[in-house]
Amino acid sequence: MPLFGELELEAVAGALPRLRDLDTEAWELPKAEILQLACEVADGTRTLLPRALHPAIPEYVTFVVTRYPESPIGPFDLAQVRLMARAGVHPRGYVLGVVGSTDAAVTALRERWGYPAVLGEIVLRRYHDRVAATVRRGGEAILELALIDPEIVSGGDLQYIHAVTLARVDGAAQLIQVDPHYTLHSAARGRANVGRFDAAAWNAAPVRLTTPISASAATCDTDLPRIRFVMDPETPVVRGTRRVR
Amino acid sequence: MKFGLFYELSVPRPWTRDSERIVYENALEQVKLADELGFDQVWAVEHHFLEEYSHCPAPELFLTACAMLTKRIRVGFGIVVCVPQFNHPIKIAERTAVLDILSGGRVEVGTGRSATWTELAGFNASPDITKKSWDEFVRCLPKMWTSEKFEFQGEFWSMPRRTILPKVYQRPHPPMWVAVTTPGTELDAADRGLGSLGLTFGQFAEQEKRIAEYRRRVQLCEPVGEFVNDQVSTVNFLFCHEDDAAGLKTGRRMADYFNYLATQLISVRETYPSKSYPSLGLLPQLRRQATGPDAGEQAGEGLCLGGPERITRALKRWESVGVDRVNFLLNTAETIPQAEVLASLRLFGREVMPAFNGTKG
Repeated sequence: MPLFGELELEAVAGALPRLRDLDTEAWELPKAEILQLACEVADGTRTLLPRALHPAIPEYVTFVVTRYPESPIGPFDLAQVRLMARAGVHPRGYVLGVVGSTDAAVTALRERWGYPAVLGEIVLRRYHDRVAATVRRGGEAILELALIDPEIVSGGDLQYIHAVTLARVDGAAQLIQVDPHYTLHSAARGRANVGRFDAAAWNAAPVRLTTPISASAATCDTDLPRIRFVMDPETPVVRGTRRVR
Repeated sequence: MKFGLFYELSVPRPWTRDSERIVYENALEQVKLADELGFDQVWAVEHHFLEEYSHCPAPELFLTACAMLTKRIRVGFGIVVCVPQFNHPIKIAERTAVLDILSGGRVEVGTGRSATWTELAGFNASPDITKKSWDEFVRCLPKMWTSEKFEFQGEFWSMPRRTILPKVYQRPHPPMWVAVTTPGTELDAADRGLGSLGLTFGQFAEQEKRIAEYRRRVQLCEPVGEFVNDQVSTVNFLFCHEDDAAGLKTGRRMADYFNYLATQLISVRETYPSKSYPSLGLLPQLRRQATGPDAGEQAGEGLCLGGPERITRALKRWESVGVDRVNFLLNTAETIPQAEVLASLRLFGREVMPAFNGTKG
């Protein structure tokens, strides 16, 4: 059997976001801009991964910075660090840390989808030779990354892996699957460059970046959907998954 | 229809000093029995770094052992990864020739390019160029086997005029194949006069359509070798048991676990946007089979699991859609005890093989 995560749930239980319920309504999010980088990491991240999930082989993380110009709560930006994994046979990105650019976004993301969001400043900019993002908290840069030398590709060449968050629902810790739809309008790829990554600021202290994999940027219509599946974080998902709708 | 074995050599955790040795020894015992039963070929893949799923980085060594233990069964060297960081083409030509000599002319060569980030990045190979390097390699290999002297100036490798030794034992050279997982790759095989070595499971209708198009295209091919190999091979699971329900249950467990391990791999497409890998290939099908309607009591369409009658029906159907060869995975991560695997092979040889031409019971 493949290896499993080794997260000590008790150690993080007190800090988990609390979902209001599982009846979260979907948000339509048109004209979004997404910058995504993937990077291999050194061994040692299994302690961050719930026991229900398998680590990727090799272990890697993705950084996802998104600008949402339109949403039910107005424009906001979002930055995520995800530890990539398998939920049974399905690739999933377990969300380690999230920064949102507005109070309303932080609150909604925590209460509706279980994102461990905190408030910060996010800048996402396109240049002729790069697409770059910076995330700051308390005046300190905690993430600086860029796609270098963008090259136009087909939207079909990109694949976005669904996210999984860990939150408390009805008093119990649950993994929440967040599986947006994407309608791509433009896409580019390029070299990945991470200039700064303060792992501790993303609840990811054991994560040490090693080999950059790829970077992509896209514009798309997307959403934050209704919750369809929840999983017991301590049980292999083959046995511990519950369909909500 | 001809039958063969197909080895990934999966090794379950927890790993001990003997884990891999047991898997290799069991496989060799299976191959020896398969040779006696009249199976036509045994294939071994080349994979690297794929924990549990495949511990088979040097198939030519395993196949040499197979050849030494057997008299008649052909040895399928492949899939050989035709990417320069993995294998220098001169070394592929040389290793093939040595294996062909040692086996008395029983080698077949399967070519491919790897589909996982895990492997390609492990060798620091760019996914963007694997299709091109594969094309360059397969055009060179037959000439390296058949020309007294060979020289080459290419995009991915070059060599001055030399005599590549030894030469293959078979004349003009061993049959060549292309690993086919992504839809459309069978046409790359057809255009070059290479056999289609399918690595997907089930789905008669889809396979029938692809085989028909392969057959049409291969008629128009410009062969890269001295002859056209227009055979279509596919891969399947095999667990044959007198009790159909018991065979189905045990076989399904093996197949599901194979799918489970396979889907743990990081496909190129998951991490690296590239036109060179336009689809996820085998993985979506495996995920569907592992979690979809097929995952219930019924075997997936066309899988050779269950009693002899059920398996014969499935193989007759494969024959009817145009498949020439079926290569079987006999076990996954030793989920089935070796004695049961051998019993399954014997029952297949006794009850199923006689129903097909070119095999003996």
